[in-house]
Amino acid sequence: MNDFSIDLASLKRRAKPGSETSVAKTDKVAEARGFVPREPQGRRGRPKSPRTGQVHAKVMPEVAEQISAEARRQGVQQGVLIEKAWELYREKQRGLSRK
Amino acid sequence: MPVIVVASSKGGAGKSTTTVVLGTELAYAGADVTLLDCDPNRSLSLWAAKAPLPERIGVVSDITESAVVRVIKEHDADGRIVIVDLEGIASRMVSRAISQADLVLIPMRATVLDATIGVRSIALIAEEEEALGRNIAHAVVFTMTRAIRSKQQNGIEASLRRQGVSIIEPPLMERAAFSALFEFGGNLRSIPEQGNMQGAIENAAAFAAAVYGELRGALQ
Repeated sequence: MNDFSIDLASLKRRAKPGSETSVAKTDKVAEARGFVPREPQGRRGRPKSPRTGQVHAKVMPEVAEQISAEARRQGVQQGVLIEKAWELYREKQRGLSRK
Repeated sequence: MPVIVVASSKGGAGKSTTTVVLGTELAYAGADVTLLDCDPNRSLSLWAAKAPLPERIGVVSDITESAVVRVIKEHDADGRIVIVDLEGIASRMVSRAISQADLVLIPMRATVLDATIGVRSIALIAEEEEALGRNIAHAVVFTMTRAIRSKQQNGIEASLRRQGVSIIEPPLMERAAFSALFEFGGNLRSIPEQGNMQGAIENAAAFAAAVYGELRGALQ
């Protein structure tokens, strides 16, 4: 037996906070209570490099060592050094053509 | 339209059963109901897949932590009662859903362990109320209770009442028909006879009426 009915008119929607600020406030109190994020936060691991081109260079062993040492010193991949060297070469070419 | 969030960070407290029993009874009583399945175990979706959905019920699945506020708001505006079923863990999803609630139901079995963990959700609600500057009505629902109340249940109830916590009366009793909802889908009127069917229907209807009363009180 079901002897109750719903008066939908009596169930009015109430405004609730939904701004980024209020969500941040909610997250803060939740985290303090141990209610923490359970979803993966973004991609794991190193972001994909945009450097997808390849050069096929064989150089003298001492040059290879020097390029490797310089890349380590600058904290970049060897490809970045090659790009810089190429840019310097291009600038030099442009300078020559202007003369 | 009002949003009811069913939350407890303990698994097995009866959240999905509470959601399905409440949703189907409110729909049977004439309300349009949207059930939001925010539990990665997809209990509501499994129930929904077993049989055609009862009249006036919709189910939305696969809701993520980052989308939960937006999805609740979308459905909060379209003239239906929204019931949110959450996973039984302490997660940001739970706190974000609570921030959108007109009424939070905290199901717990009448055990000290369930009560201890359930109280954490009550404490979280209190802190969210303070942070957001608004009242969030909440009530405990005892689930899987027996006809004869245990001393433990009486003790837990007395303790909660002393602290001013509302308790929905009647509780949801241990009924074969309630668990059979997940075997057959549909509602208590559509599934094959299970145990004391009339008792289960009366319990479910009285429970839904009590929640409806609590909700109306919260919206005053």
